[in-house]
Amino acid sequence: MEAEASQLAVLNRHLRESWTAAGLAPTGLPSFELALEEIFMNIVMHGARPGTTARVEVAVSFSPEAVTLVVEDDGPQFDPLSLPPPDLTASLESRRIGGLGVYLVREVMDEVSYLRIAERNQLRMRKRLRG
Amino acid sequence: MNLRIEALAEATCVIPQGRMDFDAAPAFQEAVERLLSGAGKPAAVIIDGAALEYVSSAGLRAVLLGARAAQRAGIPFALCALQPAVREVFDLSGFSRIIPVHPDRATALAKAQPGRA
Repeated sequence: MEAEASQLAVLNRHLRESWTAAGLAPTGLPSFELALEEIFMNIVMHGARPGTTARVEVAVSFSPEAVTLVVEDDGPQFDPLSLPPPDLTASLESRRIGGLGVYLVREVMDEVSYLRIAERNQLRMRKRLRG
Repeated sequence: MNLRIEALAEATCVIPQGRMDFDAAPAFQEAVERLLSGAGKPAAVIIDGAALEYVSSAGLRAVLLGARAAQRAGIPFALCALQPAVREVFDLSGFSRIIPVHPDRATALAKAQPGRA
């Protein structure tokens, strides 16, 4: 699909439907909703060459042990994992927002990896199921 | 996201209901800024998260900017009653170290009075 902000609601609906169809407890879902929003919106806002819209593919897969979310886009090469971590000790007045989304994704997921393959950015996020 | 505002004697409570994502965050931020700049400034601003189901970095940004504007205006600003998934995001981001988070609204109201920590 096109990397447009209005598409996030569509992606979220698919995620929730797949989650329910897989028979998983709803408690694990917010981490994936968060990862989807942060990564998709980064592509919407920063992921395309000027004057163009990136194309994005999202896939979610379920195994008995873990859920994996893969987001691919055809924008210029960009590894979100190269962003420096935010300064979590900064004061209210000096605290910055940049990089916070990707940081949160790294924290809520067990594994996050980036690949540049066939002119595409691929971010793979995996979280083990608990209980 | 729906936004309810309750003006009490001790504080004005902002009650976001639903999801504070990139789409909803600007409306939240505007509502807080209107509160802080309007006539009859509140004694304190409390964000009651009892009905808030989800927050992303866009929502965190809106809360941070609200807290900062309140600090500049000399008005106490706090969060309360965050659901576990929302609390986790505030904790991971470090925001719960720079913005007071109380377990429930009664505690937040008691602590919101100016001059008390």
